[in-house]
Amino acid sequence: MSGHASNNPDPKTAVLWDTEYHGHDVISTRSLGFFMYLLSDGMLFATLFAAYGVLSYQHSYFGGPTPADFVKPWYTFSQTIALFLSVLAYGMGMTALKRRSRGGLINGLLGAFVLGALFLVLDVHDVMDLAAHGITVATSGGTSAFIILTQVHAAHIFFGLLWILVMIYQVLRLGFTTDTVGRLLSLRMFWHFQAVIWVFVYIFVYLWGYMS
Amino acid sequence: MYMNKVWRLAAPWMALLVGLWSSQADAGIFWIFDPKGVMADTNLKYMIIDVLVMGAIVGITALLVVWFMWRYHKGKNRGSYHPEWSHSNAIEVVVWGIPIVAVGFLAYFAVKGTFELNPYNPTVITKNMTPQSQRVDVDVIATDWQWLFVYPQYHMAVANELVLPVDTPAFFRLTSTSVTSGFFIPQLVGMIDVMPGMRTKNALYTTHVGEYQGICSDYAGAGTSWMTFKTKIVPQAEFTQWVQQVKASPKIMTEASFDRYAEPYINVHHRVAYFSQVPDGLFDHVMMEVMDGKTWPIPPMMTENMVAYMAKQSAEHRD
Amino acid sequence: MLVDLPGGWNPLLGRLAWSQIPYDNPILAPLFVAVVLGGIAIVALITYYGKWGYLWKEWLTTVDHKKLGVMYIIIGLVMLFRGFVDGMMIRTQQAWAVGPDSSGVFGALHGYLTPFHYGQVYTAHGLIMILLAATPLLVGFMNIIVPIQIGARDMAYPYLNALGLWITAAGAALIMASLFIGNFAHNGWFGYAPIFEIQYSPGVGVDYWMWTLQLLALGTTLGGINLLVTIIKMRAPGMTWFRLPIFVWASLSANIIALTSFPALQVALGLVAADRYLGAHFFTAGLGGNLMLYTNLFWIWGHPEVYFVILPAFGMMSEIFPVFSEKPLFGYITMVLASFAIAGVSWLVWLHHFFTMGAGPDVNSFFSVATMLVGIPTGVKVFNWAFTMYRGRLTFTAAMLWALGALFLLLIGGLTGMMLAIPAINYMVHNSVFVIAHFHSMLLVIVYAVFGSVIFWFPKVFGFKLDEFWAKTMFWLFTGGTVLVFVPMYMLGFMGMTRRLDYVFNTNWHPYLLVMEGGIVVYTLSVFAFFVLLYVSIRDRVKNRVGADAWGTSRSLEWLTHSPVPFYNFAVTPHVNARDEAAWRRANGIAAVQPAKYVDIHMPNNTPVALYIGALTFVLGFALTWRIWWLCLASLVAIIVLMIVRSYRGDPGYIVTAAELERMEREAIARERQVDGSAGEPVVGGAPAVGRPAMAYERSDLPKTSTPPSMGPGAHH
Repeated sequence: MSGHASNNPDPKTAVLWDTEYHGHDVISTRSLGFFMYLLSDGMLFATLFAAYGVLSYQHSYFGGPTPADFVKPWYTFSQTIALFLSVLAYGMGMTALKRRSRGGLINGLLGAFVLGALFLVLDVHDVMDLAAHGITVATSGGTSAFIILTQVHAAHIFFGLLWILVMIYQVLRLGFTTDTVGRLLSLRMFWHFQAVIWVFVYIFVYLWGYMS
Repeated sequence: MYMNKVWRLAAPWMALLVGLWSSQADAGIFWIFDPKGVMADTNLKYMIIDVLVMGAIVGITALLVVWFMWRYHKGKNRGSYHPEWSHSNAIEVVVWGIPIVAVGFLAYFAVKGTFELNPYNPTVITKNMTPQSQRVDVDVIATDWQWLFVYPQYHMAVANELVLPVDTPAFFRLTSTSVTSGFFIPQLVGMIDVMPGMRTKNALYTTHVGEYQGICSDYAGAGTSWMTFKTKIVPQAEFTQWVQQVKASPKIMTEASFDRYAEPYINVHHRVAYFSQVPDGLFDHVMMEVMDGKTWPIPPMMTENMVAYMAKQSAEHRD
Repeated sequence: MLVDLPGGWNPLLGRLAWSQIPYDNPILAPLFVAVVLGGIAIVALITYYGKWGYLWKEWLTTVDHKKLGVMYIIIGLVMLFRGFVDGMMIRTQQAWAVGPDSSGVFGALHGYLTPFHYGQVYTAHGLIMILLAATPLLVGFMNIIVPIQIGARDMAYPYLNALGLWITAAGAALIMASLFIGNFAHNGWFGYAPIFEIQYSPGVGVDYWMWTLQLLALGTTLGGINLLVTIIKMRAPGMTWFRLPIFVWASLSANIIALTSFPALQVALGLVAADRYLGAHFFTAGLGGNLMLYTNLFWIWGHPEVYFVILPAFGMMSEIFPVFSEKPLFGYITMVLASFAIAGVSWLVWLHHFFTMGAGPDVNSFFSVATMLVGIPTGVKVFNWAFTMYRGRLTFTAAMLWALGALFLLLIGGLTGMMLAIPAINYMVHNSVFVIAHFHSMLLVIVYAVFGSVIFWFPKVFGFKLDEFWAKTMFWLFTGGTVLVFVPMYMLGFMGMTRRLDYVFNTNWHPYLLVMEGGIVVYTLSVFAFFVLLYVSIRDRVKNRVGADAWGTSRSLEWLTHSPVPFYNFAVTPHVNARDEAAWRRANGIAAVQPAKYVDIHMPNNTPVALYIGALTFVLGFALTWRIWWLCLASLVAIIVLMIVRSYRGDPGYIVTAAELERMEREAIARERQVDGSAGEPVVGGAPAVGRPAMAYERSDLPKTSTPPSMGPGAHH
């Protein structure tokens, strides 16, 4: 390669083997991988939003109830607040981690769990309420998209809550190891990411649906 | 030595292929190369342009590769060896330039052709028409697995046979009762999807009297392979006569009898049926019913045993 | 909330019943007996030779990227064979069932397959070939080669790698189970809406199809994340971006596609599941559903997927051509740009899979032009391969022949692809066998590249070359089959023959279908040649043993380590100085220089958890297919519990001490010296050999290239 010959070091003095090399930082490697997962999760939601966009025309509801009929904006707003406070609690826990305060971290995680669970309970109650009024995935294409999109998000929250519980246990038993700290950082990304997704859900599915 | 053996083995097969091609090339069985309508003509025109441009590039590239293979064969000392040579600005410009120019050139024809053959408004047909021009409208309803051609101008319908007058543009509206299928007459008009609860369009115009094969071009389930229809292009007088013949048929189609007609039926014996009367707006009625959630379900494992199914279908007196 | 089903259901077994076992099917029942006997024979052989422990320790629980890659490739080859048999069945049916006078057996009116069975066969053929043959074969090669090419010891996440493999295996097992329990989908591998809805496909076939795809999508996504992080994070010192071997670039671009596109498939199929299980109306024709949405969502994944499989194949070709042209790849930077251009454009072309759906001319025009844009970087790649050969010194080894075959097929596929990209042409050939011939040309590019790579990299992984005579014989037989099957298929496309016909109504097409059947026979001979190739090569393995640089003209980093590659890849991490490091070291006479000293290395432990989770995903898929709800819940909970338990224990890994390492290295070097004396006198541990200048690897005044791994929470802040 005419181009690369000039860039190459002199073979007489070049380093050929590197005994000092120990690979990359474990935590940053894991965080990058988890970030990639979130990227694919983002694509998952993007696809669901696209499906919702296609199925949210007037005729998609097929004369049945539309979000304008069944969305309770203030009720859902309370869900939003619960989830945001949960993320805030998690963030406070992570500042405690910086101080290496195990108690502070556990408190933050517990707060995040309780508020997240509140969000989930409100969400499930809302879906049950809709079902009681005869609004299910089987009602029309529009309600299918509405319910599946919001419930896929709720499923993410459910697994996030499970993960928070696991982390509380692991931090209590194992302390701050590379593994647990790496997981706490990944979970922080996950929890924030789900809140960001919720912002889109709240605005484009609930509010936009309510207004139109 | 090894290569000689390969050629000896391959030669008879290649001869067979070439023989097949040449023995039948002019027998008119290459439907795509033997278009009989304006739409299909235009398709072929664009195919020729594309193949000329791309064929030239691909052919030259292939020859180049073969020449390199011959010239730089190790040990033959035909070309000089440059172990480090791997970059040349001039060649880079050429290898990017040729595809860019070719794609730019073909893109023009691609866009032009797409508008000319737009199934909703094929300008190759409509540019020669005035609002007063004579035309035939056909509403095509695909069921599992038959074609119903409704002639709204004549309030009649024909199952599994399409008859059209020559020199008259024909316009189709297409929908399906159950699943997605495809409407395709290779020598006259290209494919268009036929979907339940939706309406697509297409059109054709031809100056060639004859009989052409129509095909269901999308997989629609068990009966797809038998879901064919003959397309007869006839002189105007003969068409009028044929309309009279259909109008004389004792069979009529109502919205209720359509329900029964649309049940799964495999048209193995190429049954053709004439319906002298059809309610106005049957096409829209079917579309609306499907949008309201009506389906024509298929029994589980229906054609697991085709012989048994055919016996059942005959027993229901539907042949 | 759950939909009503035609047919029985009970809480214990779901839809499963004796009547679902096709014991009376004249094709499947003998096959089942054969499979059972074969399985018993294999189990008996393993037991007889006492290999269970070896199998468990070295393969089933391994996290070694090379062994996982080999298993991926074995899955790929086995499924390639199954897909080939499906193809053979399709061809035989079409050669037989022509015209109303053709005979019929086994309940079929014509030929030997009823429409229902024929539909299952071609659906399985398509799904298997693209997702269970092409994808695992390429993922397998990426798994084996990428870490060695960038000088890493393993993937970034060895355990995740094993998980990806076993989930893929679960997908393969699920589709194989559909042969003997229930039935498979008949709606084509990509499915049409609304034919996969419960009204039109009441059986479990669509459910098998759906969950198989879901498992494979999951496995591939995990693998994609792993490869991306590996390439970004695990490169050896000195391996800058523009020194990466081109196959690594190809893997990087391909896995970016996989990571971002597979979620679209998972959503599309998830929504099909919502329709079929919960009675939702995403893709129904009525009640507000939109059936075109499915086709769009599917191909938003489907087209990038096509490039996900073709880009690594291009990367393989880009590795093979330079080695056998004895020259660097022409236009390296251009090749990288072209790969990413293809990856980028792959997102903008999905609609060309359904120009005939009736979109407006403006939309069709946009996607037509976007599709043609793909031709530019692809054309550049072809030219660059040609100019890699230009001024070279070509050796026509079997690997080179396969790569050249791929190049010529790509030319044909490109020509026909540019035809299909133009809607005005596409309308005529869209669903005809012309399209089949086109995408088989393209997918055969992958098959040719894969067989070329098998021959090319086999000595690296196993330490001995494959037999050249049989490899070439297989190549020519395979090429004969390709010509005989696909030339008539292109011709039939021009005759207007549509795809997926289980009964051919036009007798004019019969001679061509018979020639294709002859082509299948030739293909079958090439399959035999492959088995002979394996047998002969393994028999003569001692004679065919190779040193580190198996071909003598190799270029990239993987050819610096021993063949077969030791489990730790490189005893000491190589420092990369040039784009083609192996070629550079060889050219400067330092290829045989070994590290002066060894240090302890840290390796991951084997684990059976990945295997257990893989098995449980199979159970989950099976339970979902048959709607056995308690089993779904049980397997899901078991998977989660296993993950939590595994995360609690973690993997401390283990240390290979410097002394052990030195011993293993000495053995490997001694073995290699026996094979090829030309490797020269390796420098191990002590002073460099006489006549060589002192090497910089001993210098201590060079800057350290990295810091030791950080542990503990403070590290990343």
